[in-house]
Amino acid sequence: MAVGSRLRHVIESQQFSRSLLEELFARSEEIKREPHKFMGRLNGQVMAALFYEPSTRTRLSFEAAMLRLGGQTMGTDNAREFSSAAKGETLEDTIRIVGGYADVIVIRHNEEGAAKRAAAVSSVPIINAGDGPGQHPTQALLDIYTIKDELNRVDGIKVAMVGDLANGRTVRSLTYLLSKFKDIKIWFVAPPAVAMRDDLKAHLDEHHVPWVETEDLESVLPEVDVVYMTRIQKERFADLDAYNAVKGIYRIDPRSLALMRKYAIVMHPLPRIDEIAPEVDDDPRAAYFRQARNGLPVRMALLDRLLS
Amino acid sequence: MKWAATVGRVKGTVMDDEAIRRALTRIAHEIVERNKGADGLVLVGIVRKGDTLAQRLSSAIGELEGTTVPVGRINPARHRDDLHIRPAAIDGMDSELPDINDRTVVLVDDVIWHGRTIRAAMDALIELGRPRAIQLAVLVDRGHRELPIRPDYVGKNVATSADEMIYVCLKEFEELDRVVVIK
Repeated sequence: MAVGSRLRHVIESQQFSRSLLEELFARSEEIKREPHKFMGRLNGQVMAALFYEPSTRTRLSFEAAMLRLGGQTMGTDNAREFSSAAKGETLEDTIRIVGGYADVIVIRHNEEGAAKRAAAVSSVPIINAGDGPGQHPTQALLDIYTIKDELNRVDGIKVAMVGDLANGRTVRSLTYLLSKFKDIKIWFVAPPAVAMRDDLKAHLDEHHVPWVETEDLESVLPEVDVVYMTRIQKERFADLDAYNAVKGIYRIDPRSLALMRKYAIVMHPLPRIDEIAPEVDDDPRAAYFRQARNGLPVRMALLDRLLS
Repeated sequence: MKWAATVGRVKGTVMDDEAIRRALTRIAHEIVERNKGADGLVLVGIVRKGDTLAQRLSSAIGELEGTTVPVGRINPARHRDDLHIRPAAIDGMDSELPDINDRTVVLVDDVIWHGRTIRAAMDALIELGRPRAIQLAVLVDRGHRELPIRPDYVGKNVATSADEMIYVCLKEFEELDRVVVIK
C-alpha cells in the first residue's frame, strides 16, 4: 500500500507513505479552500458507520464528510448491544453482510485488531475509527494536518505527548505517523502506570527518532512546539483506585502557557475532562478546536481518495 | 469585499486574521532563535505590504526581546528585470533604510512567487550598503520559483496554479487581515 497509488483500507498509521500523506493534505487544503468544488463527488455512494463503542465527534465528522461529498450514510450506535453482535454474530459475518449494502464501512470497536479482522473479509474499504487501545489512524491524519497547518511544517518539530499513553490510541497512531518525518523529537510525559508501550518505543528506535520519557511536564513545556494532551481513559482501567491515582495529574493552565513558547500549540483529541483549563481556550496557542474542525476536510479527502 | 472586485474573483481564504497573527508571532520567534537574539538585526520590508509586515514583525520581536529592531523599506522597482517589457510603474514610496552595514538584514515580503522581486530587492539593498547577511521572511510562499531563492521564514506554504493569484489583505490597506486566492 506504499507510494500514493492504491489505498484500499485504512487500518493503521504505518500504512501511509509520506507521498500519500502529502497528497491527502493537499486535497484537504483544497477542500478547505474551495468546498463547493467537491459537492456531489460521491453521489449515490453509501457509507456505513458501525460503532461498537461510543463516539460523537468521530462519527458525526465522518457522516458530515460523506454528506458534504454528496454521499449517504447509515449506521448503528452501540452496535455491541443493538446489532446481531448481541445475538452472537461474529464481527466477520457482520462485515460481510454490511459490505453488501455499503460502499465503505467506518468501524469503531472496543477490541484492538478488530479493524484488521474486518478488512480481511471485507469486499468494500474499511476505515478504522478506533480499535480499543490499538489505533485511530484518521485522528492521526488530522493531527499531522493540524501541525502542518499551524506551524507550516512537520519536519523538525518537537512534540510532548502527555497523559494516558498506554491506552491512548490517538497518541499511538500519531507517533507512528510522526516517525515518517525528519528530525522529530518526542517527549513521552506520563505516570509509569500508563507509560508509552514498548512496541512503539522500539519502533521509534528503529526509525532513529529520539524520544525521552519523563513524568515532569513543566520541564518539557519550554522545549516543545506541540503539547499533545490526552485524557486518562477511565473506561480502560480495571481498577478504580489505579485510575484515581493518576487522574488529573497533568493539566495545562495559564501558568503552563507562561512556560511554553509563544508560538507553540496545545492539541487534544477531545473530549477533555480537566486536562486543559477553560481559561486556556482564549489563548491563540489553544489549537484543539481548530484541530477538531480539521477532521472534516481531512476525512472528506480520505473518503474522496478511497471512493472516487 | 470592495478590494476584491478590483483584482478578480475570490476562490477561497487561506489565512484569516488569527492565522496571520500566529504566523507572524512564530516567524518573530524563529528570527530571534536563528540569530540568537535581536542584536544587529534590521528588518527591511519590500514596499508596500512587506513594509507593513516588517513593522508588525518588529513589534512582535520587541515584545519577545524587549528591544527595538530597526525597520526600513526598500523599493525594488528600478532593479526589476522586466523594465524593458513593463516600463517602471514605480510607485511613490522610496527606499528608506537605517544603517545596514555589517547588520543582518531580514527582508520581508507578503508573497514569494518567482523570486524575481526578491532578487531585485537584494540588488537594491546591496547598492545601499553591505549587510553581514541577508535572510528572507515571507507570509506566503506560493511556489513556482524561477531563481535559486528560498525563504528562511515562511508563514504558510500555499500550493497554487499559475493562473491563480494570492492576495494578502492587511488592515492598513483593506480594513481586514486575510490571505485569499483569486482567479
